Amino acid sequence: MKQLLFGFLVVMSSVLGACSSPQQKSASPIRIRWERDPENLDPLILPNENALEAANLLYSSLLFVDPSKQQFTPCLAEALPSVQLKDSLTLLTYRIRREAVWDNGKPVLAQDVAFTLKVMNCPGLPIESNQSQWGFIKDIQLDAQDPRRFTLICAGRSPEYKWSSGDYIILPEYPLDPQGQLRPFSLASLRADTAGDRHTPAIKAFVTRYKQAQLDHHPERLPGCGPYVLEAWEPGRYLTFKRKPTWWADALRSEFLPLQAYPQKLDYQIIPDVATAVLALRRGDIDVYPMMPAREFQHLRQDSTNQPALSFYTADSYKMITACFNTKQAIVRDKLTRQALSLLFDVPALIEATQLGMAYPSAGLISPKLGPLYNDSLPLPAYNPTAATALLRQAGWQRQPSGGWSRRSTDGQVQKLALTLSYRTTDPAFETIALQLRTAGSKLGIPVQPQPLESSVFWDRLRSGTVDMYLFTITGNPFVYNFAPILHTQSIGSGNYTGFGTAASDQLIEAIAAEEQPRRQAQLLRRLQRILHEEKPLTVLFFLRSRLAASSRLTNLQVSGLRPGYSATAIQTKSAPVQ
Amino acid sequence: MRGFLISRLAHALPAAWVILSVIFLLSRGLTNQPTEADGSLAGNLAVHVTTPTQNRLAEYALRKRRGLDLPLFYVSSRATPASGGVAWRWRWNGVHNQYHVWLCGLLRGDLGRSFRDNQPVTTLVSRALTCTLPLTIGAFITIAGAGWGLTLLLAHYRSIRPVVVTALHFLQTLPLFVVALLLLLLLANPDFLDWFPAYGLARPENSTTGLYQLLSSLYHSVLPLFSLVLVSLPSFVVQWHNALQQELKADYILTARAKGVRPSLVIRRHALRNALLPAITYLTDLLPALVAGAVVVELIFALPGMGRLIAESAAARDFPVVLSGVVLIALVRLLAQILADWLYYQADPRIKLEA
Amino acid sequence: MRRPETRRLWQRWLAILWLMALVAAGTSATMLPLPAPDAPDLRAITQPPLTPSHWLGTDLAGRDILAGLIFGARTTLLTSVPAALSAALLGTFLGSMAGYWGNSRLRVPAVVTGWLVILGAGASCISLPTPELVWWLGLAVLGGLALWLATRNKYAATWPVPVDKLVLLLIAFLTAIPRLILVLALAAVQEPSQLALLIVLTLTYWPVTAQIARATMQRIRHLSYIEAAYTLGLPNWRIIIGHALPSIWNSIKVTLPLGVAALIGIETTLSFLGVGLPPQTASWGRILATARLDPTAWWLIVFPSTCIVFTMLALRQITFSSQQE
Repeated sequence: MKQLLFGFLVVMSSVLGACSSPQQKSASPIRIRWERDPENLDPLILPNENALEAANLLYSSLLFVDPSKQQFTPCLAEALPSVQLKDSLTLLTYRIRREAVWDNGKPVLAQDVAFTLKVMNCPGLPIESNQSQWGFIKDIQLDAQDPRRFTLICAGRSPEYKWSSGDYIILPEYPLDPQGQLRPFSLASLRADTAGDRHTPAIKAFVTRYKQAQLDHHPERLPGCGPYVLEAWEPGRYLTFKRKPTWWADALRSEFLPLQAYPQKLDYQIIPDVATAVLALRRGDIDVYPMMPAREFQHLRQDSTNQPALSFYTADSYKMITACFNTKQAIVRDKLTRQALSLLFDVPALIEATQLGMAYPSAGLISPKLGPLYNDSLPLPAYNPTAATALLRQAGWQRQPSGGWSRRSTDGQVQKLALTLSYRTTDPAFETIALQLRTAGSKLGIPVQPQPLESSVFWDRLRSGTVDMYLFTITGNPFVYNFAPILHTQSIGSGNYTGFGTAASDQLIEAIAAEEQPRRQAQLLRRLQRILHEEKPLTVLFFLRSRLAASSRLTNLQVSGLRPGYSATAIQTKSAPVQ
Repeated sequence: MRGFLISRLAHALPAAWVILSVIFLLSRGLTNQPTEADGSLAGNLAVHVTTPTQNRLAEYALRKRRGLDLPLFYVSSRATPASGGVAWRWRWNGVHNQYHVWLCGLLRGDLGRSFRDNQPVTTLVSRALTCTLPLTIGAFITIAGAGWGLTLLLAHYRSIRPVVVTALHFLQTLPLFVVALLLLLLLANPDFLDWFPAYGLARPENSTTGLYQLLSSLYHSVLPLFSLVLVSLPSFVVQWHNALQQELKADYILTARAKGVRPSLVIRRHALRNALLPAITYLTDLLPALVAGAVVVELIFALPGMGRLIAESAAARDFPVVLSGVVLIALVRLLAQILADWLYYQADPRIKLEA
Repeated sequence: MRRPETRRLWQRWLAILWLMALVAAGTSATMLPLPAPDAPDLRAITQPPLTPSHWLGTDLAGRDILAGLIFGARTTLLTSVPAALSAALLGTFLGSMAGYWGNSRLRVPAVVTGWLVILGAGASCISLPTPELVWWLGLAVLGGLALWLATRNKYAATWPVPVDKLVLLLIAFLTAIPRLILVLALAAVQEPSQLALLIVLTLTYWPVTAQIARATMQRIRHLSYIEAAYTLGLPNWRIIIGHALPSIWNSIKVTLPLGVAALIGIETTLSFLGVGLPPQTASWGRILATARLDPTAWWLIVFPSTCIVFTMLALRQITFSSQQE
């Protein structure tokens, strides 16, 4: 009888609670549009941007980027690591904040970091991308006296180690390995023995436990020390996150954004289609629409009926659209031809037409907004067919009576100036750019054939080097200037699809990556920009502006040019009663 | 009759096997690399830079984990330049090949796990089907019903024919996405008529009753359902109407009319039955679409259905999911063919059932 | 009785006029004083109709709609209409074969079958320089087929060819294959060209007509006039062409105009996946498809779909009046 009564009370209170909840302003969720499902929340995999964003709500890292400051700030760590160079090794010493605790009240310790690194290197688990990303961390030394202090031993030297060594989410040891079965194994031994899960029972047991937990869809089985827990996830439809009633960083009252979390509930709605998402925003079904396409953004902004209900934000991003040359192809092997062709892009008109003005031109790979790093002595790209014709003549091309161009190469063969411009079919802006170049080319007698390709076909062609010119999106960042993956000769075929590279440029790229002094790095970067400007393995058409529209009742969105373009945890409601 | 069904069903299985094998080999043979390495994050200058060797190692490890490092088929061959042309060198790979592994799994009823989110494929497919089937079946019934009504209407009232037929042709020119977007912009627009929700399914709310839930999900599926109906209806009605007109010219109709049978009865009793053939063809042709879903509608109305599942998996080279989708569609297609033959026989017993 | 007659005549003339206008537009497009259909006017993006120098407005890349429609007529004439025709022809052929011969009525000597299989396998091995995959796919299928045929009736001198089953299998295969995989297969084999596109469109669309042709053939095969022709000893091909096809044509001709619209849709999808028409070729479907990016630009929907619907109705008028004479 007692139980029955108790049950009745529970039901009643939950019904009443459900009825009264809409009145509470603070509980109304912040609804954000996502284009696609995060698909997999296994902390070892995290296959896309949305999964990363979700993981950062659930877990914390040692360091985290504060978008308002555009730099790495300490999160779980007390401060940026102290760096010590020893032979060919870099030693980085961190200390975890005293306040940091897991959900069960136990403190976050160096042991957990060691556990995380071991999981990231545990044979039998899906660790490929982690290993290639953080493989430079060779070992971890725990401090005997201070359980919160530890030292990471990294191979080689690089100024970016002090950030990247702390840029992964920290996993708790207690739910997955309560007995500490992985503790006896050193990081180095786990990495060395790639079949360890088959012949070592302890590792095998751990791997089985990890897989059984099915973390890909059940992150709650591995509770992190981030501010939110996953409340519901309907794949392809929505994800809701609930703020923990108490989160360890609350006590800090830190000024750093990653240590603040205001919304009580975050509701990510997956709406693939742009038109539908815009309607949903206008109807008030969603509150935040990040990464909005230029056209919709402009439409909404100009429509005065939306003004009171919606607010519009833009920020300069580090994402650029580039036109690249495959310098291995005979006709664009010389820099004069490449320079000439680059002069055929009408960049200001393209910015106006494809981004409706929400982009800005740049002379090179560095955003003009980065001040001293940007080489402002270089001219901005301009449409200049006369100069292009002169350059072509200089490169040995001769206009034929038929209208085309041809020249005799060094080995005596006749070359004809005609090329294809390949691009992925995903972005309609690419087609406009390709058609503009085609029109400009045909005026000069240069046949340009636009070639839209399905994504995987596009990558295949890039790898096999069977393109002449291609359009490509490159996303930079304001922390690290390492262009080796796209321009170093070592990366030819695996990222440097331009095939470009000279001994001097290689050396310069390496020097920039290794340089710690900001002033000298700026000088080197300006030199690299000049080299690239002259050699023109690629030409930057424009940098994009990221655009975001949100309900006017929201404030403090921290819109920035870094992905995802806003800071969900910082969002506050304007009408929130002051307490 | 039973013999026909059993024999046809027995023959459907090898047919399904042939289709699946070809599509398996096609899909895997053409794009044999996982796209993670170059997917959405490519072109990002990461904070930490990995070397090309590390990238290659990671890619190899990924292929190995997914079993894509095995040879594709029992035999493989390689062209080697020889004197006077090219010589083909054959190699026997044994049973350690992707095809064998996949086939064995399939025979055990194991469709594998998705490459993308590591869920069992059966879970993914059944979840997508619970979203797709109510919608497509609803649309199917509406199409059949509305098609029948409209055809009869056209047969009765000659005067409306030119207008309706032209309207149907105009509808036929509009692609599905135009119809769906128009419905959205007309009926779910705060500036115009804000009658229906713009997207999604009804969210489960624990405080409401089952009836309310049902009504809510019906309300949510009105626009997607109508876009499907509007796109499929025109060619159905036009074909059926035409067949009916052909029948009405036949001698037996004249006889019936001459005997003084009411025109409406002539149409319904005599002509319609004989004009059923194109209608059966059209409707059974739609059956595979019931499980295949409609990717455009699912994208526009943000429904997590089969069409989106298959399209996204194909784009991401998520082979286990793509192949399971193909299995399902091919099986339904083969069953639909059997059903169509049986229905032809029912409509016109002069047609012989062939096993 | 008189008015319907004159109206029908009028309609017919309108239809012929429209089609002639299409042909004229397609052939003389380059001579007309129009902006080039592939040259974007970047200063006039998504302009509504009646703006100076762009009478019917521009699309999202600044291409002139009027020029797009007129140059698109050529694409329609050279690709969509021929594809609809050839799909209808192929569909009618295969469908009526399946309906007429069934699974057991067409018998060929066992030796011929064996040789055919071996020849086919050998030819596909040698002749195709394409990826190994393609030909051992063919090999696998033919081998399976041979095996299956052999187990059916080992010692008979003639083997039945299961035409019906083969056609149905082919239909099931073509309709089960996801579009994206098909696109990849095509991208691996060939460079996009107008002829290749025509072939692909035909291959994807013929099952629709084939199923109708098959059903109709199955029905009329047992009607008395076909049976009579058969007992008279007329050769099969004469029965099919002379007696059966006219009735089948009655069912097929409705699908032909409808097919044009469907094929314009497929052609556009393929173009957007990178294996259809190159982006500088104007087509009605492409204009229609850009409306997806800006559904409020009504002129991107209204003008091309009006052109398509006129073409469909004209074709319908022509096919119907041809039968009435």
